[in-house]
Amino acid sequence: MPPRDAVMVADAPARDPRAAGVPKIELVGASKTFYVRGQEVTALQPVDLTVGDQEFVALVGPSGCGKSTTLNLVAGLLRPSRGEVLYDGVPVTALNRRVGYITQKDTLLPWRTAAANIGVALELQSRAVPRAEAQERVAQLIDLVGLRGFENHYPAELSGGMRKRVALARTLIYEPECLLMDEPFGALDAQLKLLMQDQLQQLVHQRRMTVLFVTHDLGEAIALADRVIVFSARPGRIRAVRDVALPRPRDVFKMRFTEGFGRLHEELWDELKDEVAKGVDV
Amino acid sequence: MTRAAVSAETADGPTAGAAGLAESARAVLIGQVVVGVLFLGVWEVAGRQFGHDWTSLPSLIAVRLATWLIGDLWLHALTTATEMLVGLALGGSAGVVVGLVLGRSPVIATVLRPIIVALYSVPLITMAPLLILWFGLDLEPKIVLVTIVVFFLVFFNTFAGVAAIDGDLIASFQLLGGNRREEFQKVVAPASMVWILSGLKIALPYALAAATTGELLAARRGLGSLLAQAAHQFDMTGVYAALLVLMAMGILVSEVANRLERRLLRWRRAAA
Repeated sequence: MPPRDAVMVADAPARDPRAAGVPKIELVGASKTFYVRGQEVTALQPVDLTVGDQEFVALVGPSGCGKSTTLNLVAGLLRPSRGEVLYDGVPVTALNRRVGYITQKDTLLPWRTAAANIGVALELQSRAVPRAEAQERVAQLIDLVGLRGFENHYPAELSGGMRKRVALARTLIYEPECLLMDEPFGALDAQLKLLMQDQLQQLVHQRRMTVLFVTHDLGEAIALADRVIVFSARPGRIRAVRDVALPRPRDVFKMRFTEGFGRLHEELWDELKDEVAKGVDV
Repeated sequence: MTRAAVSAETADGPTAGAAGLAESARAVLIGQVVVGVLFLGVWEVAGRQFGHDWTSLPSLIAVRLATWLIGDLWLHALTTATEMLVGLALGGSAGVVVGLVLGRSPVIATVLRPIIVALYSVPLITMAPLLILWFGLDLEPKIVLVTIVVFFLVFFNTFAGVAAIDGDLIASFQLLGGNRREEFQKVVAPASMVWILSGLKIALPYALAAATTGELLAARRGLGSLLAQAAHQFDMTGVYAALLVLMAMGILVSEVANRLERRLLRWRRAAA
């Protein structure tokens, strides 16, 4: 692993004073229903959710509970069936390009090498930078996600965990102010997962990012988030909300053994376990 | 004995497998040459024995080919190749562009579907007489015919390729900040490349067939006209020689296509 601060940009964007009072992300009674062969399927029951500027919020819940739908709403990939989704106080009516979205599904371009995938955003008109700078930033990101030596591999030649890291780097490279992450570390082995969590925590702090983070892993949610939201089984709604009052910076490697972490984990698991059981029944 | 000696020499290195492979490839090649020589020998002997008015003889064909090679065979081959290549370039690029655009515009595609299907239902080669009436005896009608044939094959493949693109790939690219032009350049076109190339590959032999069919009907130059002239004069040796040249051209064309495909789809081989 390279030194932690390999990519720590010194010029993190100054905090927008306008946004001080306005939450970054706000869902007001937002729900989503789909029609599958004429049948109405509720993916998300009306949800109220507020994510403050530079807040780290984790969503946990059983499979199919609408966590990914929530992220899709914020990214502007879906419109709410009812209610409203606001970003910086403005309704999301088109693709929300101010967020970086790391989807659960692999959406790397298979004909591009790892390095070319990571650099793709910087080739685009809307985010263009000089070629030399782009190359330098790609190299930094490759170091950050620990993929040195795999720059010229195609996605098909990489493991699932490596592809996830390429996807992460591809998003981080354009320095979005807000990250939507859908089980980004689910495919990683336990050690790598901890390392990545640690790096993410640092990076989020350095770049003052807002994060909405979906995970199955309750421990991961508590370790990273300022607030953990437990979703119920399908159709999804919010079942419990807990603030994580543990001090920052956190030691993701050791904090699991502290008393505060254990208590919170137990409390949230009590909320989650019934829902997980329900989710399995479906 | 030789085999034992060869394996003894190479068995101790990592190249032993490769050497074995090369050896068996050589054995196959020798076998193929033997079969070919036998075939030609039987043809020659049987022809001399029982008469060769309908079947010609390998020796006569070889002499004819040599005469042509010294003469104006190149001119004919060049004519056919020009018709093919120009038609491929025109029809191929039109097919790709229309396929990509219609593939991303489902409404227009639905509107145009019956027209396209109706046009494609005409056996395209049979348009040759019409095109000859329109464009005369030289290269133009053949180029147009090749263009039409290639266009449809490439268009249908490209269209299917665009339809097969994963929508999430495009959505995530749009979120990265790509505009519509960049989406075409960096996602839609490369994602359809497998289909486009397979369309072109299928189109290549059809392009050769279309060019020579046009020439068979009416032409002053080209391998098809060479064939037609020979046939009109009951010159069997000329017919076989012309067919041999066409075969060589067909092999060349598909070999080029294979190489191109391997080069352009490197990322795909990586998956295997």
